[in-house]
Amino acid sequence: MNSSWFVYMAFAAGLLFAGLYCLLTMKNVIKLFIGIEVISKGVSLALLATGFVKKNTLLAQCLVITFIVVEVSLVATALALIINIYRHTKSLDIRKLTKLKG
Amino acid sequence: MTWQIPLLSGLVLFSILAILSKDLIKSAISLALASVLLGILFFQMNAPYAGVFEISVVAGLITVLFILTIALTKAEGDVRESRLARLAFPLFFVAFILIDILVMKGLLQKVPALPETAETGAFGDVLWKQRTFDLVGQLAVILAGVFSVLALFRKRDKDE
Repeated sequence: MNSSWFVYMAFAAGLLFAGLYCLLTMKNVIKLFIGIEVISKGVSLALLATGFVKKNTLLAQCLVITFIVVEVSLVATALALIINIYRHTKSLDIRKLTKLKG
Repeated sequence: MTWQIPLLSGLVLFSILAILSKDLIKSAISLALASVLLGILFFQMNAPYAGVFEISVVAGLITVLFILTIALTKAEGDVRESRLARLAFPLFFVAFILIDILVMKGLLQKVPALPETAETGAFGDVLWKQRTFDLVGQLAVILAGVFSVLALFRKRDKDE
């Protein structure tokens, strides 16, 4: 293990923490989704940094590209859901989604 | 390592700005800037394909989708976020980083990771020959995304 891996992992952990904090404290649905995006940035940084340090960059790149494709699908679906939620409740507040009435 | 520290710091700073900013448009743009910095980092780590994907797809497409959603919902200032959470963030963040630095060094030596062997071949060989199953999964995920968006935006029939 070398020190650069440690530095990358520390920054990735910082990104993960920031995203999780956002998920735990914010109430706006779009803000929550931005938190998920920040977490995903931390994950892709950790993946590629490990590959770079272990001299397995090609494999890490493949995994990151797969991850990005999954992320785009997730974003498209989630933003469509958010627009539907807004049409339904006329608000972006997550607390108004506590009732599962049709 | 010298050129990576400013890029990594910028990435974390813009991500925090995206989370703490009150304006949703500013949040989306900060997220895009963080993606651009991450893409530059990928280029510096000899991963040009991942960098291109990060900059074009995440910084480009996802930001456009975010801004489109914000424009369609037009609910800025509608949701009041708690000020305490925003003010307490730096405290929690610094505490987490300190714990992280103390704990992670010992943890990283124990975690089994990829063996340190030099790779041979080109990117295409690894993607198409070694990770073929991932590509099938990617296709399935893209199709699932397309069908879910179609299902969410379909027009209701009259008899419904």
